[in-house]
Amino acid sequence: MKHTLRQIFRSGKFVFGFSIFVGILLIVIIYPLIITNHPLEIVGQGTFFPPGVYVNVYDSLGSTSYTLMLEDAAAKRIASKLSEGDRTAIKEWLVKAGIPEGEIDTADTEKLLDQWVNNYDPNKNIPGMTNAKRNYFIRLNNSLKGLLSTEGVSIAVKNTETGALEESDFVGQSEYVNVSQVASVRVLPLGTDNFGRDVLTELVAATRVSLQIGFVAGTIATLIGLALGLLAGYVGGLVDDIIMFITNLFTVIPTFVLLILISFSIGQDKRGPFAIAVVIGLTAWFWTARAVRAQVISLRNRDHVNLSKLSGHSIAHIIIADILPYIASYVVMALILQISAGILAEAGLSILGLGPRTTEVPTLGLMMNWAMIYQAQILGKWWAYFPVIVVIALIAFSLNLMNTGLDQVFNPALRD
Amino acid sequence: MKKLLSVLSLMIVATMVLTACGGAVTPAATQPPAVETEAPVATEAPATEASVDANALPRNETLYFNGQQWGPVVGWNPYSNSNNNALAIAQQDSARVIMFETPYLYNMLDGKQYPLLADGDYAWDEGMTEVTFKIKAAAKWSDGTPVTAEDVAYTWATAVKYDTPLAAANKDYVDTIEAKDAQTVVVKAVLGDDGKAKNPLLVNAYLSTNYVIQKAWTQTLEARSADATALLADPAEDVVYSGPYGKFFADDSKVVYVRNDEYWGQDASMWGKLPAPKYLAHTIFKDNAAGSVALAQGEVDVSQQFNSNIQVLWLNYGLPVSTYLPEAPYGIGASLPTAFYNLKSYGLDNVAVRKAIAMAVDYPTIIANAMTNQSATFDQVPRSLMNPTAGEQALYDHDAVKDLQWAGNDVAGAIALLEEAGVTDTDGDGWRELDGQKLTYIATCPNGWSDWQAAIEIVAAAGKKIGIDITTNYPEWSVYQTVVTASDADLPEGYDILMMWSDGAGPTQPWGRIRKLMSSEFVGMASNWNGNWGQYSNPAADELINAIPTMTDESELKAAYTELVKIYLTDVPSFTLMYRPQAFHAVNESVWTNFPHDGDGTNPPVPPLDMTDGWSIAGLYNLTLVNP
Repeated sequence: MKHTLRQIFRSGKFVFGFSIFVGILLIVIIYPLIITNHPLEIVGQGTFFPPGVYVNVYDSLGSTSYTLMLEDAAAKRIASKLSEGDRTAIKEWLVKAGIPEGEIDTADTEKLLDQWVNNYDPNKNIPGMTNAKRNYFIRLNNSLKGLLSTEGVSIAVKNTETGALEESDFVGQSEYVNVSQVASVRVLPLGTDNFGRDVLTELVAATRVSLQIGFVAGTIATLIGLALGLLAGYVGGLVDDIIMFITNLFTVIPTFVLLILISFSIGQDKRGPFAIAVVIGLTAWFWTARAVRAQVISLRNRDHVNLSKLSGHSIAHIIIADILPYIASYVVMALILQISAGILAEAGLSILGLGPRTTEVPTLGLMMNWAMIYQAQILGKWWAYFPVIVVIALIAFSLNLMNTGLDQVFNPALRD
Repeated sequence: MKKLLSVLSLMIVATMVLTACGGAVTPAATQPPAVETEAPVATEAPATEASVDANALPRNETLYFNGQQWGPVVGWNPYSNSNNNALAIAQQDSARVIMFETPYLYNMLDGKQYPLLADGDYAWDEGMTEVTFKIKAAAKWSDGTPVTAEDVAYTWATAVKYDTPLAAANKDYVDTIEAKDAQTVVVKAVLGDDGKAKNPLLVNAYLSTNYVIQKAWTQTLEARSADATALLADPAEDVVYSGPYGKFFADDSKVVYVRNDEYWGQDASMWGKLPAPKYLAHTIFKDNAAGSVALAQGEVDVSQQFNSNIQVLWLNYGLPVSTYLPEAPYGIGASLPTAFYNLKSYGLDNVAVRKAIAMAVDYPTIIANAMTNQSATFDQVPRSLMNPTAGEQALYDHDAVKDLQWAGNDVAGAIALLEEAGVTDTDGDGWRELDGQKLTYIATCPNGWSDWQAAIEIVAAAGKKIGIDITTNYPEWSVYQTVVTASDADLPEGYDILMMWSDGAGPTQPWGRIRKLMSSEFVGMASNWNGNWGQYSNPAADELINAIPTMTDESELKAAYTELVKIYLTDVPSFTLMYRPQAFHAVNESVWTNFPHDGDGTNPPVPPLDMTDGWSIAGLYNLTLVNP
């Protein structure tokens, strides 16, 4: 056993796959201990907030302010509101409004804005301008208001009695706060999803549930496959025929179709993660059964098995003591593949809307499903679906790598 | 063998992933389905040979739509409800009039009915028993014959004779329709006990809701149909119509309508010209996501589907896409998607429980997340029974119901209400009990209706905040609709809080919507497609609902509406979750421009109903090319 383990861990592929998998496992276990927010808590009012550090504006007003004399601050501010495209658009508008083209210099911000402020009229009808463009100019005009101002802004509080605004604070243009001193800051490393949930926290919880589904499904499939394979292979005869008949039936029906039909017929109220795992397990055992049977057939006429038979051991004893150890390595490898397949099957089902009951627990597939329903892929909200794909790929990759590594150790034909 | 199996299994896994990735996504939005009482009749999808290839329509002459037609067109029969011909046939408050026409056109923006086939306004007689209107002399059928009063009368007579859906919906209010002479139509109303029209509102609505169908063609149809079922199932390829567009091409990938250049509406008595696009085309998209992509790429000009976060298209991608209003809520809210309480569920007969749940719901989050801000908030438009349009808002006394309205997210208030009503957590398990029994409910809406599902999730979250255990469940629409519309029995387990729609804008509104939200006349109906699915019953409300249609005094009307709002907000038989536009209306100005938008200067204003419904068809005459 020790020797085998040493051999396994000498396989580079296995170790690589194993470390990725353990890494994922560790994150899944440790992350919730540090970040204790509920994974399904709706924090964002709005959909798909981009990844980043969210600083409470109200709190930052009350925080200690520092004055930094940064020369490029004003330039940055202007650039963020007035891009090159905006400047060209302003020029176009002004030309159409009758300003000679030679008088317009898009590089001279001050002059350009001056011309804009003096000439722009949202109600002016420019021939050939679409409504979308008209809306764009209205938005641009609003965002440009006070852009070149060097004054700060006043913060005012409404007097509860008179309703009048009373200045309570003044924010200058070169005032800064230190993020670590602001009372309320929330880091959303992967932004929020369509429900306004923290994607990273949800992703970790979803990975855990998906792994659980994979383990349950894989274990069920492997146990059923192993039991039937052993029985069919060792007992043979009529038992073999019956088992193989059923197995062959399952082999010819496309599993995924079967999975879809079963999940659909269970009905959504009964589709918990565990139920889905069981369904996946029940539809994935047949190739394990076939493979195990084939191996058992080649084992059952070996000398040590015949000796055991002569000694009067029971069938159960022979199977467990004399046959199982010889195929144990294979079974472990099959289990790994089944787990990987189980996770992928859950993702596939959930994307079709047939996964576990929505939003009681997150799963990787459900996250993909909702991201697609809210068209994250069309709107370019990559954080809602891409990390999920990466996690699914990493899990499948690491498990398959472990399997290949094991194969190289146990299969003499593949040994270097 | 092992190796082969591993390879095989990997391939299986790979195929699973591939099939899964390419698999169908359930349509994201909930296009309010047409109220159909019959099963769709399967007939052959029609296809015609055309001189212009329907797959290569000239882009500068074609206006492309999405979000209306799902699945192939079944037929062209205006008597039937099962044509699945969304762009051509929809008899509703704002009737779809590109192919078949109604006497009047309803304009949801000003609430008026404008003559189309009719000449001038309609008039009630002194005794309020019948309505008279004239048909325009210029009005012609596509075969060149004039539209006459006889056609209007025969349409109704045929509907009654064969008991079509049209007759079923109107025969309690419309008695007969007669042709006084070739141009004059008299609609006789069903009279109430007082000798006046039982419901003049619905008779008025009839005039802008239902098509006029040619008598001669109807007789051809009758001649070849053995019975009512055959008549309704006829695909009507040869149908004669009066509208500006007719069938050009239809298969399972698209449907195309072509302009009838002889259209009577170019007469000075109507539009004075032809509508701008030569072709109207609707590609049949797989789902909303496919439709959104096409809109973004300029393959669709007018989009009637829920495009989530539509502002991204112009803010981030700089596309020439716009909506009716430039900023959120982007459209005009018209209908009130509503969560109904099953009043027979344990504890939901207690008004404190109902109100507490409704108060605790986080509506701002529903609007921001589920609707991606495409709805007015309840701070902007406080809850009542009215939609956000100015006309309806003016119909009730805002100050009188102020204390009853709630804006949501009021967990403390909800808890106080429950405590006061004695609904407390007596056994310390964190959930409240009423008389010792734990309050646990299932909130539900159809599966795949994503914005509704997201809203229902937020309702469930509100329950948890106030100690009432609400979980969610989403049955398939096919199951959901049968269960919810069977109002002749109690709702089964799993339907404690259920989401359905309410009426949008129309000539009978807000009365029609209020009736469908509160009237007990629908309780006991075996196939209830109207409303009040929670089976609420209140004689005081019923009395007001029955009285309103014949009220003429404005202050009396306002008092009645205010009283109804009071009853609704006190009893909380259901609660509105969001406001929703009558139709989504987003346009891409890559090819066409001058679409209706807020402040476009049209008079009367063209409503944002995709230029197909009611008065919005006027928009088709204003379109111009971006690059002529």
